[in-house]
Amino acid sequence: MDFANNPSFIRQGPHPAVRLALCVLLSIALLIGDSRYGLMEHVREALSVALYPVQRAVNVPFAGARHVIDFFTAQAELKAENDALKSQRLQMSAQLARLATVEREYRELRQLNELKSSRAEGGQLAEVLYTGRDPFSYKLIIDKGADAQISPGQPVIDSQGLIGQVTRVQPLTAEVTLIIDKNHMVPVMIERTGARAILYGYGGGVEVRYLPNHADVQEKDLLVTSGIDDLYPAGLPVARVGKIERNTGAAFARLSTSVVAGVQESRFVLVLNPKQHVPAAPPPPPDAAPPRRTE
Amino acid sequence: MPFERPKELLKPVKRRFIFLTFVIAVLVELIPLPAGSTRWLPDLIGLLLLYWVINQPRRVNIGSAFLLGLVADAATAGLFGQHALAYSITSYLALRQQRQLVMFNLGQQALAVLALMLANQAIMVVARMITGAAFVGWSYFLPPLVGALLWPLLTKLLLLPYRQHSV
Repeated sequence: MDFANNPSFIRQGPHPAVRLALCVLLSIALLIGDSRYGLMEHVREALSVALYPVQRAVNVPFAGARHVIDFFTAQAELKAENDALKSQRLQMSAQLARLATVEREYRELRQLNELKSSRAEGGQLAEVLYTGRDPFSYKLIIDKGADAQISPGQPVIDSQGLIGQVTRVQPLTAEVTLIIDKNHMVPVMIERTGARAILYGYGGGVEVRYLPNHADVQEKDLLVTSGIDDLYPAGLPVARVGKIERNTGAAFARLSTSVVAGVQESRFVLVLNPKQHVPAAPPPPPDAAPPRRTE
Repeated sequence: MPFERPKELLKPVKRRFIFLTFVIAVLVELIPLPAGSTRWLPDLIGLLLLYWVINQPRRVNIGSAFLLGLVADAATAGLFGQHALAYSITSYLALRQQRQLVMFNLGQQALAVLALMLANQAIMVVARMITGAAFVGWSYFLPPLVGALLWPLLTKLLLLPYRQHSV
């Protein structure tokens, strides 16, 4: 049917059905080849390489637009992000501070626990509820009172040393007068020499009064309770000598001292049991041997 | 049947122009779009192919549909041969009815195109399922609908450069 002198609009090449069959066969061959044998991987790689610059070229305007949009939104986004981070940091630092406090408390409690077991007279652990409201007196309120058999006069210590004395007892709380309170006196001795003195609180600190000029005292000497007053057990650290001024014109040396214990810092304190004045009870008689049972 | 379409005389279509439109269609296919948009975006290459098959059957026939299908396969990173198969078959169907299709008005053409594009998607689904993929859901047949709706616009757009009187 195909004549050489057919006009070009008649000459259309093979019949569409033939073409279709050819193309369908080819397509199916490609499909099978690709899905079963992966034959087309290389072809696709080559094609994708060829398409890659086109892809890049198509992407360029979009990437540019995105870049511009980013540029303009960056400011707001950064601001929001910054705010979020700031608030997060605040929360974190609050948590951290709490953690530090808890750690400190834990350390304190451990030390007190050790102290309690090492002290013969024993004591009761108490938590500081609040400090006295009167700015002129240095007092603490602890969470143990008459219900815990606390009585006035019991010394109160923390892990480092003496901090005061129970002066008033309420049913559930007790008031502790600190050694730095004005008019509070503690009989002490210099640990190194055994020389006795009296430590006076002056409202915010302690000082040793009436120590003779020639007394043997050096800087960094530790002052401990002397235990001669029947109130404080002997040997509790109280204060450390700072500077010594020996003025020849004066009768007494001036000592500046600093309290050893964390008088206004401790969260937990130990209320030492009062000294027992009664002699220790005699040991119980050894049990008589149980009568032998004879069968 | 209203005899509307060939009312105006058109300049002869250049081979270059056809090639250019296909290149543009492939480029559009390569544009990175938001992930969800492929669910409803019509297959522009297929639409364009149908347009040229219907309007220039001597220039664009099954062979070019097959080649274009291969390019579409590479561009969409699908299974090799899936677009080629679908395009070959649909363009054959279009070619068989070409003389009627040219006479249709745009609405009728759009309906025919809808059917052809649906067949296109169906062939691809079958091809994928035979080669072991799971059925992707009926939303796969949404793009032909959108494509059919866009058909009149596409026709007008492609006729624009070939109006006898230049605007």
